[in-house]
Amino acid sequence: MSAENGSVISRREFARRAAFVSAAASFSPAELLTRESAAAVAPPLQTPAPSGPKLSPESQAEMESRVQAVFTQYGSRLSDAQKSDLRRIAADGQAALDRLRAFPTDNGDGPALYLKPLIEREKKPAVPANAKFAGAPKKS
Amino acid sequence: MPGEEIFYLSVSELAKRIESKKLSPVELTKVFLDRSQKFGPRFNAYAMLTPEIAMEQAKAAEKEIQRGHYRGPLHGIPYAAKDLLAVKGIPTTWGAKPYASQVFEYNATVIDHLKNVGAVMLGKASMIELAGGSGYRFASASLQGEAKNPWDPTCWTCGSSSGSGAIVAAGLAAFAIGTETWGSIICPSAFCGISGLRPTYGRVSRYGAMALAPSMDKIGPMARSAEDCARIFAAIAGHDQKDRGTVPIDKGAFTYSPSVESRKLRVAWLSNAWKSYEGGAGKPVATAKASLKKIFSGMKEVALPVGPWEDAASLIVQVEAAASFRSLIRSGKLSDLTDPLAQILGYLNEQYSAADYQQALKVREILQKKMDAIFLSFDVLVAPSQPIPATPLNLNLETGLAFPDPQGAIGNLCGLPALSVPCGFTEKNLPIGMQFMAGAGDDIAAIQAARTFQLHTDWHKRHPRIHQG
Repeated sequence: MSAENGSVISRREFARRAAFVSAAASFSPAELLTRESAAAVAPPLQTPAPSGPKLSPESQAEMESRVQAVFTQYGSRLSDAQKSDLRRIAADGQAALDRLRAFPTDNGDGPALYLKPLIEREKKPAVPANAKFAGAPKKS
Repeated sequence: MPGEEIFYLSVSELAKRIESKKLSPVELTKVFLDRSQKFGPRFNAYAMLTPEIAMEQAKAAEKEIQRGHYRGPLHGIPYAAKDLLAVKGIPTTWGAKPYASQVFEYNATVIDHLKNVGAVMLGKASMIELAGGSGYRFASASLQGEAKNPWDPTCWTCGSSSGSGAIVAAGLAAFAIGTETWGSIICPSAFCGISGLRPTYGRVSRYGAMALAPSMDKIGPMARSAEDCARIFAAIAGHDQKDRGTVPIDKGAFTYSPSVESRKLRVAWLSNAWKSYEGGAGKPVATAKASLKKIFSGMKEVALPVGPWEDAASLIVQVEAAASFRSLIRSGKLSDLTDPLAQILGYLNEQYSAADYQQALKVREILQKKMDAIFLSFDVLVAPSQPIPATPLNLNLETGLAFPDPQGAIGNLCGLPALSVPCGFTEKNLPIGMQFMAGAGDDIAAIQAARTFQLHTDWHKRHPRIHQG
């Protein structure tokens, strides 16, 4: 399906967005509504990927830089299939960034900050009680 | 022993019987617990049942009511809370293995509010791990496995309030609490044929709730009717010093009775919410639109503004989720999540720049002004909640051809209230939802419009047949 602005959101874009939104099923195709997914029987990371979005050389370089930053920091935790997966997702993310940056905003446009100043602090600020968190990392 | 129909009575109807002492909260809780124990596992609906808490609260409610101290329409009413709301002393897993043993020593504000009005907590509803905060490809991305849709157990309930949707649809509780960052109340409500309210951002305290994207997270009721949602919303809304995101005291509280719905609403149909309808959704949508034209005479059409709203919303959620789950990402425990996408996406989410995040917030501000302008002319914007019915359980979301969701992006970027109610069924007997969206703070307009629709239709009174076998 085409977006209102004429762009087409790819299958991988869906997966990327599904990650961020919580309504993943809202993007499924009609034909898949009634048939079982092939990926249900095949490991999803081995599913051949459709071609990614077309990026400018600058955007491609930026995307690669982002991916390399991930690999430098976390590469030892990732399999080759996961690295490949991340690169594909990053390409879709770069296309989204390019669209977002192309939207005209002025220097004086204010960001929609939700944070409100603390005009009057409580005498005893509310502090959540410590959670007993067996799975929590000791440091972050 | 009450008949099957009691499990599908509205909160309002149950409340009448409880107030008049024709229905015992203890007996009601027992039968709901029995039913939840029997059918909950079939749908992977619960993270856990809390029978001790339920019976204690039910007995307290019954005692008070017998003494003439009736607290209001939720007194003695059984409900389920999504398992990202902290309940003192019991596990709050966020649907994710790394947090399977997590126990908080305090209640979420919503849990306290419901306790204060005498509602009875039956258990914690299952959910998508981290409410989708690190992504997911499959409905099975949950500690409890995929939530099965009571209308067709081969189909999903949608996420991330997946268990909340299953519980209400299957009559396992009178209502449930869900949360939405982008679609997680509206979509399960639509797929499950129930009514769900996504309140205005900041109207309900998130204290004690898992943070995903703090500038977009919202908590709301999922129930059998718009009126029920309004009554539950009235119990949980309000300013909270513990959640700086809540609106001020004078704008936070919400009181409800049907008599407050006196406005002549200016309703507009959203002409560009969806490009097309699939899976048999088109026919019920067309019928519902014809009904809406009759119910809201003078209903006009309006288009949502066009722009990179979904890109902005995605980036905001990505960046905020990276901060919310930083310790999980840094520790390497992402790999303990169930879903293959969830295991890796957090690493990428960390890489986006502050400048791009700020651009997304600027775009958000521009969008809010555009939407404010639309709401000068209209009170309520209406469109189908989703262009499709419930999807197969094992669908690989990545293989789906994507289509835009400007309605969801705009509604959640701007913190707008919306209420999804059933508006028809496909030929395969899967429900379709209709969404009523209003301006920020004007939750009552969305409620009034949805309730008016339900006064003229009976889709919300249908429920799936749950076979005993």
